[in-house]
Amino acid sequence: MKKFLLLLAAILLTSCANKSMTRYETLSPTLEKKGFEATIAEVKKQKDDLYGSNSEFLYYYDLGVLHHYNRNFDESIKNLAQAEKVYEDLYTKSVTNEAAAVLTNDNTRPYRARPFELLTLYQFQILNYLAKMDIDGALVEVKRSQIAMNALYQKDKDKVNDNGFLRYLQALVYELDGDEDEAAIAYIKAIKAYDEGKMGLPKEVFEFATESLRRMEREDDIRALKKPELASTPKATAVHDMGQEIIVIGYAGHSPILGEMYLSGTFVSAGAMNLYYKDGETGNRVSFTLVAPPVPGAGSGTFHIGFALPEVRKHHSRVDHFEVSLDNKPRVRPEKVMAVDQELRQNMDDERNTVITRTAVRVILRTIAAQKAKSATNTGNGILDLLKNIFIDVGQSQLEQADLRVGLFLPGSFNMTRLPVEPGSHSVSVAAMGGSGGTVGVYSFDKIAVRKGQKVILIVPAIK
Amino acid sequence: MSKILTICLCACLMVLVGCGGKKVTRIDENSVTDLSGAWNDTDSRLVADEMITDCLNRPWYQNMIQQKNGIVPTVVIGKIRNKSHEHINVETFVKDMERALINSGKADFVANAEERAELRNELASQAGNATEETRKDAGQEIGADLMLTGTLNSIIDQEGGEQVIYYQVDLELTDIQSHKKVWVGDKKIKKFVSKDSVKM
Repeated sequence: MKKFLLLLAAILLTSCANKSMTRYETLSPTLEKKGFEATIAEVKKQKDDLYGSNSEFLYYYDLGVLHHYNRNFDESIKNLAQAEKVYEDLYTKSVTNEAAAVLTNDNTRPYRARPFELLTLYQFQILNYLAKMDIDGALVEVKRSQIAMNALYQKDKDKVNDNGFLRYLQALVYELDGDEDEAAIAYIKAIKAYDEGKMGLPKEVFEFATESLRRMEREDDIRALKKPELASTPKATAVHDMGQEIIVIGYAGHSPILGEMYLSGTFVSAGAMNLYYKDGETGNRVSFTLVAPPVPGAGSGTFHIGFALPEVRKHHSRVDHFEVSLDNKPRVRPEKVMAVDQELRQNMDDERNTVITRTAVRVILRTIAAQKAKSATNTGNGILDLLKNIFIDVGQSQLEQADLRVGLFLPGSFNMTRLPVEPGSHSVSVAAMGGSGGTVGVYSFDKIAVRKGQKVILIVPAIK
Repeated sequence: MSKILTICLCACLMVLVGCGGKKVTRIDENSVTDLSGAWNDTDSRLVADEMITDCLNRPWYQNMIQQKNGIVPTVVIGKIRNKSHEHINVETFVKDMERALINSGKADFVANAEERAELRNELASQAGNATEETRKDAGQEIGADLMLTGTLNSIIDQEGGEQVIYYQVDLELTDIQSHKKVWVGDKKIKKFVSKDSVKM
């Protein structure tokens, strides 16, 4: 009886809802209806319930991003620095946590951040310091981001650990610091990073890169990029010659979230696992085969397995892009410089096989343990044994939860345009546009004072 | 079985008692404390002391004393730029250098540009508000002979959980009249930081 109660308690403890979904369902309506300030308050108020100690990185990361949107740059810097510290401290893996994850699910491990989340952390930090006009502070973040990127490549050189927008921002900071050599190198790396990613190279990035490289007499580097060369670089030349500019950074829409996708199939230890799932977007049944690692105690029999994995789910966003008007001149459309949905999909692709293998092995180990538990706890009473076995099976399946943790408040895309201006006062109007072309909202910036040689950053957080 | 339970209970209690709670211990302000491997108060103090000592013991100093008929030179601290990978409080480092300069007794030093602007505001305020006897006159500032400027740089080499951090502080003392650099000094600090890849 004691064993039976223990089993029941275990089931009750583990059959909680996935915290990531609860977090999304709680905070998303608050952001939509009440805005950044209220969401920040809600995140702080429900820290333990919505995040917990295993998602400490996400707690500080989400807060840092929200404070950034709310133009509270000092608080954003503080929270993102804390998230960075949590990330660095998690280099040391806890054997206890890893063992717990083998027995239960990946949610019991501390969240270590996806590479693109870490890189966006540095993007936000650079932008925070630029918005505060603290060039030295921005320069420190540029260097920290380079160290972080090197570490990511050392950890896994086969994955995409670079980011074109981050490299572009690095170039911008070096330009502001007057370090034209470093800026030129950062531009080259930005182009390479965009080529490595799926989004494609924004035209404005290439124009500014070309102008910088030509000025530094690095025509060979332009040719080595193997891109159609530009005849002229009017905007980039104007920015350089005039010396001052207004930079509009627009955050359009809401990044995708992660939902659960159910996979099932067969597993033969040290053989193959054949799995299939229903594609959430196309509705097609997709099957594939992976090499199955040996699992102790599994023998050579075929196991039928089923488990949930994270899959990218689009968040319905009303804002798709922006149109910017400087001093009532005709509108220009800032280019997309980073697409978060593509970054998340790339990350899912990079990690897919590892996550599937780890989860499948865990499910097999638990199935074997459950079978042993069933035979060891038989009482001889038919009804009681049946009930107990049902509880063991239900409990076993309840333990498996996909790790759906991801930064909750990232934009769908980062958009950027650079506007050369004369020193003096300017007005900028930024229209947030929907996918079908309608205006969702207008952000007006009046009497922007631009001093000689200054680069003014305008942040437009249309996370709608 | 009951013995095992008792032992487990005792072990849990010991762990619980051993965890949590904050402990504060006062330590000597000059003691060397390295926790994270980042630039800290010890680095700031040691670099400031060593570099100012080096600066004031070079030949330029005696030459200047002779030129000024025994009067010690007046120094102003200019921009010290942080070009490292860490957010370092440069102000603390500047204060450490100011302290080292004053305590040496070998140089006078005057307020920097920011402080001077504040002092001039105060002077302007006194002109309209303070009594004639206590009012301070404008145009009586001491002009500095030399300006100290510099940069703080860092290089990182890392592999896995091991990291070598190399800091280099470069300082320059420039004659404000002639723009001649009278002294250039540097101080290097190298730190090895390692992190365990696993813990219990």
